[in-house]
Amino acid sequence: MQQLYDTLTQRFSLGEFTRQRADLAFITVEAVRLHALLRHLRDQEGFTHLVLLTAVDWLEDGQFQLTYLINNRAKCQDLGLRVMIARDNASMESIHDLWAAAATYQRELREMFGIDFPGSPRLMDDFILEGWNAAPPYRRDFDTLEYSRATYRERPGRETRDPAAHMKQQLYGDKGDV
Amino acid sequence: MSISDVLSPFTAWKNLFRDPVTIKDPLNERPGAARYRGFHKNDMDKCIGCGTCETICQNGAIDMLPVEGIPAVQGDSGLRPRIDYGRCCWCALCVDVCMTGSLTMSNEYKWVESDPDLFRFTPGVDKKYWDNAELGYQRHDEKHLMPVAREEMPELHPEARLDSFVEIVQGYNIEQAKLEADRCVSCGLCIATCPAHMAIPDYIKAVRDGDYERGVQLLYETNPFSQVCGRVCTHCCEDSCAARHEGDPIAIRWLKRHIIDQVPQEKVIELIGKPAAPTGKKVAIIGAGPAGLTAAFDLARLGHAVTVYEAQAAGGGMTRYGIPEYRLPYNALDRDIAVITAMGVEIKYNQRVGTDITMQQLEADYDAVVLAIGLHQGRSTRIPGSDHPQVRKAVDLLRQITAGETIDVPKSMVVIGGGNVAMDIARSMARLQLQHYGEIRVTLTALEDKAHFLADPVEIKESLEEQINILDSRGPQACVIDDNGKLLGLKTWKVLSIFDAERRFAPKYDPADEQIHEGEMIVEAIGQMADVSLLGDALTEKLEWNRGRIQIDPNGRTSENWLWSAGDCVKGPDVINAVADGHRVATSIHRALTPQEATA
Amino acid sequence: MFELDRSQYPQKKADGTLDIDLTSGKYLKLWQGPQHPGITGNMAIELTVCGDEVVDATTHVGYLHRGFEKLMERRTFMQCFPIVCRICVPEPDFNEYCYAAAVEELAGLEIPELAHWIRTLILEMGRVNSYLMYLGGQAGAFGQGVIGQWTTYVRDLMLDRFEELTGARIYHMFIIPGGVRDNLPDGFAGRMEETLREIESVLADVDRVMFHNAVFKKRAVGVGVIDTAWLDSYGITGPNARAAGVAKDVRKDQPYLVYPELEFEAVTGKDSDIYTRADVRRRDLLLSLDLIRQILSRLPKTGAVMTKLPNVLHWKIPRGETYVRGECSRGEYGYYLVTDGSGYPRRVNVRGPSYTHSIALFERMVINANISDVAALLVSLHTYPPEIER
Ligand SMILES: Cc1cc2nc3c(=O)[nH]c(=O)nc-3n(C[C@H](O)[C@H](O)[C@H](O)COP(=O)(O)OP(=O)(O)OC[C@H]3O[C@@H](n4cnc5c(N)ncnc54)[C@H](O)[C@@H]3O)c2cc1C
Ligand code: SF4
Ligand code: SF4
Ligand code: SF4
Repeated sequence: MQQLYDTLTQRFSLGEFTRQRADLAFITVEAVRLHALLRHLRDQEGFTHLVLLTAVDWLEDGQFQLTYLINNRAKCQDLGLRVMIARDNASMESIHDLWAAAATYQRELREMFGIDFPGSPRLMDDFILEGWNAAPPYRRDFDTLEYSRATYRERPGRETRDPAAHMKQQLYGDKGDV
Repeated sequence: MSISDVLSPFTAWKNLFRDPVTIKDPLNERPGAARYRGFHKNDMDKCIGCGTCETICQNGAIDMLPVEGIPAVQGDSGLRPRIDYGRCCWCALCVDVCMTGSLTMSNEYKWVESDPDLFRFTPGVDKKYWDNAELGYQRHDEKHLMPVAREEMPELHPEARLDSFVEIVQGYNIEQAKLEADRCVSCGLCIATCPAHMAIPDYIKAVRDGDYERGVQLLYETNPFSQVCGRVCTHCCEDSCAARHEGDPIAIRWLKRHIIDQVPQEKVIELIGKPAAPTGKKVAIIGAGPAGLTAAFDLARLGHAVTVYEAQAAGGGMTRYGIPEYRLPYNALDRDIAVITAMGVEIKYNQRVGTDITMQQLEADYDAVVLAIGLHQGRSTRIPGSDHPQVRKAVDLLRQITAGETIDVPKSMVVIGGGNVAMDIARSMARLQLQHYGEIRVTLTALEDKAHFLADPVEIKESLEEQINILDSRGPQACVIDDNGKLLGLKTWKVLSIFDAERRFAPKYDPADEQIHEGEMIVEAIGQMADVSLLGDALTEKLEWNRGRIQIDPNGRTSENWLWSAGDCVKGPDVINAVADGHRVATSIHRALTPQEATA
Repeated sequence: MFELDRSQYPQKKADGTLDIDLTSGKYLKLWQGPQHPGITGNMAIELTVCGDEVVDATTHVGYLHRGFEKLMERRTFMQCFPIVCRICVPEPDFNEYCYAAAVEELAGLEIPELAHWIRTLILEMGRVNSYLMYLGGQAGAFGQGVIGQWTTYVRDLMLDRFEELTGARIYHMFIIPGGVRDNLPDGFAGRMEETLREIESVLADVDRVMFHNAVFKKRAVGVGVIDTAWLDSYGITGPNARAAGVAKDVRKDQPYLVYPELEFEAVTGKDSDIYTRADVRRRDLLLSLDLIRQILSRLPKTGAVMTKLPNVLHWKIPRGETYVRGECSRGEYGYYLVTDGSGYPRRVNVRGPSYTHSIALFERMVINANISDVAALLVSLHTYPPEIER
C-alpha cells in the first residue's frame, strides 16, 4: 500500500496516509482532486469496485469527511479516500459518471447529511425519509433522543432511582440540627 | 428441457403420506434449549441493587425501584431491577455485567397475559413459574464482563523495608491507577458506608479521565486528610463495594492516595480557593488531630477565626504519634496540615489545655470550643507485675519513637494484644531491634484465635513477614520478675473462650497449658482511653456523661452549649470517623454562630 | 450510464427525464409493494408499464428505517452489540461479526483461536438459513409454494442448532466483541450432522421439484441476465456476480476468520440468468454444509472463547477508522467504523449488498421485463431491505 501511495504522490498531491492493515489504507485528498484521482485508480490501478461512499460529521471542526472506499480485487487491496469539506452549504462533485451505483449513495447523503452533489441523478428524490422537515438526521447536531421525546409518547408508569441518592435519603440524609 | 423436467416435480407427491413435522402446542412441551436466553430470574439475597444492569441495558428496559421488605443497608441500596418486557430484547448483557451474579435467565419463553402492564415485573419479587428453572443462559467466567482482579499494589519486600521506617506501600503509577479505576461501575453503593460520604465514584472517574485537579477538588469537598486517608484509612467503603461479590473490591483507598499524590501542594491550595469573608466569630479547638483539624478547616473556610491548641510539638494527633512512619510518612501528613493552615487556621503547639490554659479561659475568650483530644492513655492489663518500669504502654512508646526520644531498645520483648496497635508497636520495635542488634525477637500474644484476630489481615501478613512471633489464644497471667527485680518475660495460659453466654467479656483459661515468653520488656497494647483531666472538676461535674464518655447530641454538642466534642474521645474509632465528626461539629457550630433569619 | 433498450421507449424531455403522460392511456403506474406477495421484505417498486412491459421503475425503501447507524452513535461499544443483528433478519450474524471485528481491530484486541472457528461456523449456519429462505422465495415467485414449506422446515432444524449453541433462534447476539459467548454444547456435532443430512435430503427434493422442473426452467432460464460489464458499475457482489462467471467471493479473495484453513472453491455459473443464480445459491448452500462439516471436524475442542475486555461501561477506543467485510449469502457485507477516542462510535456505516442490488441494479434490469417476471427477478437478486436503510 505504501508503494501505491508512493507512485500516486508522483502524479497527485495527496494528504495524510494511514495504513490501517496490510490490505487497507486511507489517504486524505483535496476535494478538487478527488474525481481525477478516482478515475486514475479505477482505470489504471485496478480499483474497479466502489465499496461504499459515506460521510462522517466532524461537527466540532465544522467539516464533513466523505469516505470513498474502493477495492482492487486482484491485488486484494482496499483504499479509503478521505475528503474533508466544509459543513456549511456542503457540496461535492458527483462521481455517478464513474460508478452508476454512486448516485444512490449520493442521494442518501443528500437526505441524511444535507450534502449536495450537483448533477447527480434524482438527487432530490426522497430516499428513506418521506416528508421529512427536520434537520438532516444523520448530522451530529440532530438529537435522536430529543426528537423521539418530542414525537412519541412515553409509556406511563416508568420511574427509577439512583442507588446512591436513594441510600443517602434512606440512611444518612442531612436532617439539619436535631 | 426434457421430459424428466416434466415428470420429476411429481416426486413431491411422496410427501402426501408423511407425518407433519410441526409440534402441536399446547399438547406437547417444547422446552427452550439449555442455554436459552429466556425470562429473567433474580436472587433477592444476592442482588445488592447496584443498578449496573440498568446502566448496561441499551434498551432502557430496567428501572431500579424500592421493594417492600428490602431496606437499604450498607452495601445494598435496597433497590431491585424491574424489567420492562416491552423493551427487553433478551441480550443478557445485564446478566453478563451483574455485579453479584444474582441476575440470571431461565429457558422459559411462554408467558400470556391480558394486561400489558404485567410484563413490567421485578424478577425475584414478582413470583413466576420459572423462578426455580434450572436451565437457561449461563454466565461463565469468560463472559463476566467485569474485570475482577485488583491491580496489585507495588510494595517494598520485607528485606528492603525491615531495617528502616521507609514507607512500604509505593502507590500506583498512572497506568495502574487507570486500570484499577476502570473496574469501578460508578454505582455509588460505597458512599453511604464511608463515614464522610466521600464522592467516591466521581473521584474514581477523575482518575479514569486523568483529571487530577477535579479529583482533588472532589476529595476536599468531604475530606481534608486525603494524604492520611489515602494511606491508612480503614477503608470500610471497600467492604460495601459492589465489585467485592464477584472479585476484589475496588482499591478506593489507593486511588484516593493516587489523586492527591499527583497534584503539588501549592496547586491543591489554589484549587480549594480562598476562605469566605471573616465573620468576626472565634472558635477554639483542643487537639490538632484529624477531628480537630477537620473542624478547624471547615470553620476557617466559612470565615470564622480558628485557634487550635495542641499539647504536642506537631499536629496530626495519633496519625503522627501513633501510626508508624512506615505506614504514614510524616511529610505526607505535613502536606495535609499545611493545606489546613493555609486556610488561616492557627495552631498553637506545645499548649496543653488544663495546664497551659484553662477551659474557663477558652470559654470566656471564644464563641465556641471543640474538644477533640483523642484517646491518649494506654489501658493496663493490671496483671501481677504490670507496674514494673519495663512494662510499657504501646501508645507511650509509639509517641516516643515519633518524638525522636531515645528508647532503651530491649533485646527481646513481648507485646500483649492482637489489634492493629499491637502490630504497629511490634513492627516498630522489630525495626529498632534490627538496627541495634541485627536480629528481631518480638513475641506477640493475643487472646483471640487466628480466625478472630482484631487486626487487619494485611497487618498480620506483614507482621509475619517481618519475623514477629505471633501467638494466638494466649491469656496474660503475670509479668515474671526475678529476685533482682529484673523483668524476665510474660506468663500466659491458653485461652479456652473469651466471652460468656451473654457475650460478656469473661475469658476462660486452661492453666495446664502455661508458657513463659521471654522478654526484657513487655508492651501492653490492649486499648486507650481519653485523658479528661483538662476539664477540671467544676466542668466535669457540670457535663453529662455516658459510660465514661462525655455525652454529645447527634451534632456533637455537649450538654454545655458552648462546648462541642468530636473524634476518638467521644466516638472513634478511626481517622475517617474523626474527619466525619469534625465536619459534623463544624456544621453545627456554624449554624449556632450564624444569626438565624427570623422564620415566620 | 448504459443505454437502455426500451422497446416501447418513452421519449426524453429536455431535462432528461422520461416523457410519460399517464393521461395518454399508453402508460400505467403499478405499485408492487409495500404489501405485495411479489416483493422481498418491506419494500416497494413503482413500475411504469406499457402493456405488460416495464418501461420505468423506481425502488422505494424506508418502510423499516430504524436509524441503526445513528442509534449506535449514542450507545457504548458494548451496547451496540445487541442491536446490530437486527439490521438483517434472515442472516443477522454478519452484522455481529463485522461489528465485533471492526471494534476489536480499532481497540487492538486479539481474540482466541477457538472463537475464530465458532464465528466461522455461525456464519456458515446463517448462510444455510438465508439460502433456504431464498429458495422458498424464488420458487414462490413462480407459484411453487411447497418449496418454501420444505425449506422452512429444515431451516427450523437449523434454528434449533442455533438455539442450543447461541441461546436464541433468530437474533443470536452471540458474536460479541472479544470473541463468542460460548463453546459448543455437548453432542453438538452429532445433532448438527443429523440436521445437515435432513437438509441434504430436502435439497435433493428441491432439486427434483424446483430445478428439474419444466415450468421453472421456462420462466427462469435466459430471464434477468446480468451483464458482466455491469458488475463494477453497479457494485455487484456475491452470487449475483458469481452467476455471471466472476468468482467474487470474499471468503476466497480476502480470506478472514478460518477460511484460509478450509478447503473449497468459489461456486460460479455462466449464464447469469435467474436460473443460474438460483443454481449457484443451491450449490453454495451445499458448499456451506460441507464447510460446516469441515469446521466441526477440525475446530479445537477446548480453549477460551472470549478475551478479557476492559470494563465495558466505560470502554473507550482510540481515534481511528477501518472497514471489515465478509461474504454473506447476498454478497459483500461490511462495516465501516470510525472512532474518535470516546466511549461511543463516531460513525458506523453498514454496507449491505442489497443496497446496490435492489436499487441501481434492479431499476436497470427490470426495464423491458414482463410484469409477471418482476417478482422473480427481484427475488433472484436476493435482496433484504433492512440492510439498505439500516
Ligand atoms: C497506633 C495507632 C494506629 C492507628 N492506626 C490507624 C489506621 O491505620 N487507620 C485509621 O484510620 N486510624 C488509625 N488509628 C486511629 C486514629 O489515629 C484515630 O482514630 C484518630 O487519630 C483520631 O483522631 P482525633 O482527632 O479524634 O484524636 P487524635 O488523633 O488522638 O488527636 C487528639 C489530639 O489532641 C491532643 N491533645 C490531647 N489532650 C490535649 C490537651 N489537653 N491539650 C491540647 N491538646 C491535647 C493530642 O496531643 C492529639 O494531637 C490508629 C491509632 C493508633 C493509636
Ligand atoms: S447488577 Fe446484579 S446485583 Fe446489581 S442491581 Fe442488577 S441484578 Fe442486582
Ligand atoms: S436482557 Fe438486555 S435488553 Fe433485556 S433487560 Fe437485560 S440488558 Fe436490557
Ligand atoms: S468503588 Fe465499588 S461501590 Fe463504589 S462506586 Fe465503584 S464499584 Fe460501586
